[in-house]
Parts: sequence; structure tokens; C-alpha cells
Amino acid sequence: MSKKDRASSTLELRDVSRHFGSVKALDGLNLTVNPGELVALLGPSGCGKTTALRIVAGLETATSGELLVNGERYNETPANQRDMGMVFQSYSLFPNLTVSENIDYGLRARKIDSEKRAKKVTEMLELVSLASKAKAFPHQLSGGQQQRVALARALAIQPRVLLLDEPLSALDAQVRGQIREEIRRIQLDLGITTLFVTHDQEEAMAISDRVGVMSHGQLEQIDKPIALYNNPATPFVASFVGLANRIPAEITAKGKARVLNQKVDILESAEQFVAGEKVNVIIRPESLELVSESDSDATRGIVALKSFLGPLTKVGIAVEGAPLIHLHISSREVRKLEIGEKIAFKISSDEVMAERA
Amino acid sequence: MKRLNLKWPLTIVASLLAIFIFVIPLYGATVYSFKGNGGKGHSWVNYQWLIHADGFYPSLFTSLKLAVLAAAFNLILMVPTMVYLNLKGQRFKPLVDFLCILPLIIPVVSLAIGAQVAMPKFLQNTQYELVFFFVIIALPFTYRALDTSLQTVALKTLVEASRSLGASWTRTITRVIVPAIRSGITGALFLTFALSIGEYTITSLLHWETFPTWTVVAAQQNILGAIAISVFSFVGAIALLSAIALFSKRGLQRVEVEE
Repeated sequence: MSKKDRASSTLELRDVSRHFGSVKALDGLNLTVNPGELVALLGPSGCGKTTALRIVAGLETATSGELLVNGERYNETPANQRDMGMVFQSYSLFPNLTVSENIDYGLRARKIDSEKRAKKVTEMLELVSLASKAKAFPHQLSGGQQQRVALARALAIQPRVLLLDEPLSALDAQVRGQIREEIRRIQLDLGITTLFVTHDQEEAMAISDRVGVMSHGQLEQIDKPIALYNNPATPFVASFVGLANRIPAEITAKGKARVLNQKVDILESAEQFVAGEKVNVIIRPESLELVSESDSDATRGIVALKSFLGPLTKVGIAVEGAPLIHLHISSREVRKLEIGEKIAFKISSDEVMAERA
Repeated sequence: MKRLNLKWPLTIVASLLAIFIFVIPLYGATVYSFKGNGGKGHSWVNYQWLIHADGFYPSLFTSLKLAVLAAAFNLILMVPTMVYLNLKGQRFKPLVDFLCILPLIIPVVSLAIGAQVAMPKFLQNTQYELVFFFVIIALPFTYRALDTSLQTVALKTLVEASRSLGASWTRTITRVIVPAIRSGITGALFLTFALSIGEYTITSLLHWETFPTWTVVAAQQNILGAIAISVFSFVGAIALLSAIALFSKRGLQRVEVEE
């Protein structure tokens, strides 16, 4: 199967809401996934990302709003007529069917002749590198292999849109990384429009063309991963994407704040602050830099924590009157630091985000 | 404190109970069923009497036919119902749970008369009305067997996976759900069949002749023959159920996996 075999589709959700009684699982969601694009919906549990995916799959009904695929309204189309390939968190392979039969299942349902089906199954098995497991049953496969079968099964029907519902959550860290890359490779190879739901920001950032951050049933921001990280639109996005320090501060003037006795510029946002108002500023660890203790403008603290993360080490600094402040330091440099050692740092970022305390 | 190991004492008690309740009576019945005329010697005379007795074949055939129909009807009724209850009708489950226990609570006489009045006209006064009674009395057992089986599979995601792959509801039930809950279905089938083929009270109340009611009448004529009937029924039931179990198991067996 190549890009030529399928016409990539545009997926649109227009003002889609889903209410469960008084609970608004989705509250006017607007989202467009362009042909061949992989968009991740990222957010904490209960933010509505899975509900959105299930509405697209036809497994949930929208209370209001429109679902369009290539401009065609899909709200009333039953799940089995939508041509959406879905990969579930729990694999959901049919336990009584072999790997081949699982992949063949959707093709049989479409009454495709046996010769074409066999060819497609072989092609899919090769795509996910599981040709040797064709006759194995799901219980004879590892978690990673099962999820690859689930992916092959979803792709075999040449879906208009591929839907991934936290497909990596049940896998261990090493396999998760492998499957993540495999999903991206296949998605790029086939050029299939993909909507990927996850609560893991690393996953979302690693393989998506764009990431949509959701909160309380709404899309807070959708952008390229790097833009989302560097230019978060809201304090929620800033704190949810990447590691962020939330530090108490005071507004000194319009667009200015004092934090840890340092002056910083704050980004404009929908919220307006007045001088003297107590706020929290959100500062990324990499926006903090260690300086000499003799620097009079620096903030002083004590090294309270060191977490080795590979090339970088996360250092926690205890500062009087503030929560533990985290910054990232090269692991080579951090060897010189000891727990309990006095340390000085400055806020290097010109602009930080503020939220009402 | 060291815990008491009760495994062996319990095994011995269970074995003794099994011997007293099943093995000794069955052994005794088998020996007596082979007694000759006047209770002397050993012969097949009681079994010969049985197979030549008036009404033996018609009553046996009727019971088998009604039991098969009851088992089939029960599965057709209960499998989709239980799937619906476990998938979408969770809120109705307590009600259905209660309704399915009723056949154990309601006296058989009330059940027989009440249900007969409510029975569609075209079934009243035909032997097929018994099928519906058999289904009703088997309900508490089939409900539990199917429900337990459905609880052990990830029903919702399997159904959703099947539907998202383009399968209709019929295909989803026959190709995904039924194989996934085959053990529960086999259990429900066994129970309905066994209960139906051995049902006496309702059949007798409604004046139909099935194998159990024929047995009671026939036993009054020949006591050793009656024992032969019991042994025959027991062996027959075991053979039939084993055949169903074997058939069901073969259905599950798949080609050995090539690693």
C-alpha cells in the first residue's frame, strides 16, 4: 500500500459538544486535521480528548456540532460505515482469531474477494514486520506485537482517517519508543490522516505534526510541537507542556513583575493585571541559569534534589518563600554540585507567562 | 501462627461425600438393573423390557426434541439480551437479574398455570408450550452462565473494534462475541438441555407425556425396569452432554501455531 492507494482525507470537527447530564465532556470543540497530517490531542484525564476521538469513530454521539470528512457530514453515519481505522489502548484483538484472521476481519466485512484479501493481509504483515507470526493467536504475542497487529488491522481497510486511542499506554518504556517511531514511519509512508489521543506529552511532541492541548472539553491551543513549547497561549498550556516552575510573583507595572527579587517582563495574555497584584509566573527550567554567587541580582538557594535524566540532570533548588525550583543542568556540570550546597541563579528568559494567584 | 493445611482433609471429605451420594447409589442401581427375573442372576431382561415398552421411543423423542428446542430458543433469546445488557443496558441489569431469579421463587404450580394463560393461543394445548416453560425454568442458570462469561471478556472494546472495522451487529455477535463467550454458551446449553430433558413437575401438571412422566408410569409396572430406566437416563444424559462438550471443544480447537 502506498500513498497513491488512498486519497487522504480532511477531518473537521465544528463546534462539537458532548454532554453527559450536567457534565460537559466536550464543549464546542473546533479542530481540523489536514490530509496526511498527524494531529495529537493532548491533555489530562477527563479533558475530553478520548470523547472527541470516539465521536469521530462513531462510538459516541455528539450532543451538538458537526463532524465532517472531506466536507461530508458524518454525524449520522454508523460506526461500521465510517471507514475509520481505530487502534485501541487495550489492543482489542479478537482472541479467537489468528493474527492473519484479525487483519483479514475488516476486509471480510467489506466482502472483498479472497485473493485480494490474502494479498492485503500479507502486505500488512510485512508493513508491521510480523509475517512470521501470521498464524499465531493474540495471546502468543507480546504487547508490542499485539499493538502492531492492531495497527495493521486498522490500516488494512484503507481507512479515511486513522484514529489512535492512547495506543502506547499499555506498553513498557522501551517498546513504547519503538512502536511510536513505527507508527510515525507508517503514517508518513502511507500519508494517512491521523488523529492521535494521548496524555503523554513526550509521545505527542515526538511524532505529531501538530499538537492540540485540551482542557475541560475545549482546545486550549493547537500548534506545532516546538511552537507549543516555546509560545504557549495560556498558562495551562505552559504548565502542561514541558516542565514548568510556578513561582509566586508580584506585578510591578503593566507587563512587569518581580519574582524571587528579580525583574521580569511578562507576556500579554487575556488576563489583565494591576500593579501590586499577586500572581504566579510560569518559568521553564531551561530559562533559569546558574550564576556566580557574587552576582548581586541573582537569587540564592540550596541544592535540594538531583535527578539524573541522561545528558541533563534536573536540579531542585530550595529558595526561601518559594516552592522547590527546578532547572536543567548538563549532567557533566552537575557532578560539581552537592546536595545542600549554596547556589545562585538568574531568570534568563525575557518574557514569562503569568496567571492570577 | 501456622495455618492449618485443610487441603487433604477437605479432599477426603469431598471424596467420601461423592462416594456416598453418587458412586454407591449408582453402583447399586447398575447392579440391580441387571438382575434377572425375580431378582435372581444377571441378565439384560430389564433393558429388553425397557426398549420394548410402549411409549418408550415416542416419549424419549419428544423429550429430546423439546430439550433441543428449549436450548436453542434460550440461546437465541439470552445471548443478544445479555450482550445488550452488558454493553448498553447496564441500568436494566438489576431488573433483569431479579426477573431471572423469579422462576426459582415462584411455585411451579403458579408458574405453570399463570404462564399457560399468558401463552399465545397458537401454542396453547400443543406440546411446544413446554419449550417456553423449560426456557423459563432454565433462565436463572443461563443468565448466570452467560453473565459470568461476558464479565471475563473486554466486551465493549471488542465490539467497538469490530464495528470500527466495518462489521455489522450480526457479524460482530457471531464472529467475535459468541466465540469469546463460548464457555458460557456451552454452560447455558448444558443447563437448559439437562433441565428440560429431566423436567417432570410442569409436564405432569399440564398432562403431557415426556420421558420423565412416562418413566414414572412405567416404573409402577416393573421396579427393576424402573431402575434400568434410571441407569439408562443417567448414562444417556452423560453421553449426550459429553458429545456436546466434545463438539464445542472441537469448534474451539485451531490449527497448531507455526512459530
